[in-house]
Amino acid sequence: MAATYVLMFVNDESFRDRPKDEVAAIYAEVTRWSQDLERKGILKGGVELEKKGTAMTVRRVNGTMQVFDGPFMESKEHVGGFAMIEVPDLDEAIRIAKAFPGGVEVRPIVVH
Amino acid sequence: MSKYAFLFIDDGVDYQGAPTPEQQKVYADIFKWFETNGDKITDGGAELQPTRTATTIRTRGDKRVVLDGPFIEAKESVGGFTVFELPTKDAAVALAKTWPGYGVEIRPIREG
Repeated sequence: MAATYVLMFVNDESFRDRPKDEVAAIYAEVTRWSQDLERKGILKGGVELEKKGTAMTVRRVNGTMQVFDGPFMESKEHVGGFAMIEVPDLDEAIRIAKAFPGGVEVRPIVVH
Repeated sequence: MSKYAFLFIDDGVDYQGAPTPEQQKVYADIFKWFETNGDKITDGGAELQPTRTATTIRTRGDKRVVLDGPFIEAKESVGGFTVFELPTKDAAVALAKTWPGYGVEIRPIREG
């Protein structure tokens, strides 16, 4: 019985300001990680988001939707991307998240 | 055309628990909203279980540590995400304003 988990990659974006070769090494590690999961049929899609500075937020204020610049949460760390994985259980999802070179929040999904 | 991730903001309403009739109506409206806008979706993404189900993996020194809970404890969190293909950022904002729920963070997708 497999379950789907979303992995949210969280970081403060500072890795992108490191020397080019270090950034390239991080991306290479992420690619190795994702290709391994893809090969095993575990990875069910994912996206990388542009920096949080590109974010716009729309939220309901007193009943009407208003537009704001920036992410919904002003925090040092924010979501930088998502991946969906299909695994037997949470322990396996955590094992996979541990192999990712960065912070990860693991969340089960709602099945309709 | 460009791809935009919509990060749906969870403001603490437990739709999977015991929603009020008003919240049930919002949830039904959200279903309709996805039907109406289905032709613009390139990645259906997922609806996430509440943050109480979250597990976060971080790097401390040279160790990977596993912690219960979301990467940040806040009133608002990511409740789900979906990727849309839209002509402009203005179109993304216009679409987000029609979201029946509480709020949306719009983030361009990093391609390649």
